[in-house]
Amino acid sequence: MRKKLLVATLAVFLGGGVVFWTLSAPASIEAGALPDTTDAARGEQIFWAGGCASCHAKPGSDGAERLALGGGLELKTEFGTFVAPNISSDPEDGIGAWSDADFANAMLHGVSPRGEHYYPAFPYPSYARMTTQDVGDLFAFMKTLPAIEGTALGHQLSFPFTLRRGIGLWKQLYMQEEPVVTLATDASDPVKRGQYLVEGPGHCGECHTPRSFTGGQDYGQWLAGAVAAEGDGVVPNITPGEGGLDSWSASDIAYYLESGFTPDFDSVGGAMVSVQKNMAELSKDDRDAIAAYLKSVPARPNGYPASR
Amino acid sequence: MKKLALVVSAICLSVSAVAASDEPVAARKALMDANAASAGLAGAMMKGDLAYNPAIAKAALLTLNASAKTFGSFFPEGSQEGDTTASPKIWEDAAGFQAALDKYMADTSAAVAAAGRDGPADLDAFKAAVGPVLGNCRSCHENFRVQQN
Repeated sequence: MRKKLLVATLAVFLGGGVVFWTLSAPASIEAGALPDTTDAARGEQIFWAGGCASCHAKPGSDGAERLALGGGLELKTEFGTFVAPNISSDPEDGIGAWSDADFANAMLHGVSPRGEHYYPAFPYPSYARMTTQDVGDLFAFMKTLPAIEGTALGHQLSFPFTLRRGIGLWKQLYMQEEPVVTLATDASDPVKRGQYLVEGPGHCGECHTPRSFTGGQDYGQWLAGAVAAEGDGVVPNITPGEGGLDSWSASDIAYYLESGFTPDFDSVGGAMVSVQKNMAELSKDDRDAIAAYLKSVPARPNGYPASR
Repeated sequence: MKKLALVVSAICLSVSAVAASDEPVAARKALMDANAASAGLAGAMMKGDLAYNPAIAKAALLTLNASAKTFGSFFPEGSQEGDTTASPKIWEDAAGFQAALDKYMADTSAAVAAAGRDGPADLDAFKAAVGPVLGNCRSCHENFRVQQN
């Protein structure tokens, strides 16, 4: 009897292990999915839309310094401290030696060239909604940026978050390629463009949507605002709900993204400063598109406690 | 024109009232409100919502300069408590905060000097003068204010 129980337990354990191992396996891009040609000039706009500089350039950088992607920014979260790596074109310390498929796997599947899962501090759940053409163009542009020597420090995480394989299960729960918001069938082109920019490369939901205790985005409170990952502040509600952008016009939103000033001429602050610098580099049409989309998402009450 | 005079004197008044205050949190909020009003005038003229007027431009720059020169006096030890969005980093990194204040003062002083007696001659001259000043808002709020927008 005892032996049987042991065997059964082992079987469950092994079976569970097999299921875990299968479900948590890193995915990779299908052969033939990569674009035939890429355009580095177009990639620059993707670079700013994607906000790469905000984590991978030195904190507080301005101007050309924002193109030096040596990494080093520390994100202090409840899971531990994540450190943004060097993604400059340096072949040794950066990603200069990566293949196009390596880069696409990182962006669209959150998987490293060695086949390991990346932590979702790297916002690939959003980037997974990008087109392979945009990802290819982005990589073509990033290869034109300066090579920076030196590697950033590693992440400082506590057990069990040190085990990367488990991220595979997390991806099963939280990664979805389909859009977050179901737009009206007659939605305008700017609204559709805005949806792509906000839900995909712009990865706005990564900070503006509250997360569950497992660190996944609560899509039921999409863009409703959240307690800031760092410090005592909040990341504001950017839906048309009360406490959000209810009193902002679309042109107020676009002007804020361009200038950093709210309708009351308060200024952008905190982590959004660097994001706004990125948004200022976009075309006016793209800023207008983001504004049009934000005016069309479902209105939600604030996604953070009133005490904040 | 009468309206303009009212706007300008309201801004100047809010600055002098602040200097008399002994409540640091209220004082620095009043200074920031005056800053926002000045930045609002500047922004309205740059956006074309308000016709460019050198006197308004000069008043906005003088207000920002006056506020820059006094703002740093309202962060005594202990005033990180209460209804404030001042970041604890102001006190943890006092040297960094002072450097940001020094830059703000230098930039507003340069803008006032460029404005001259009659204010910047045209909108382009005003943009050149006020641009570096307005850049201080976001760089200081990036590090020294609790995240809110």
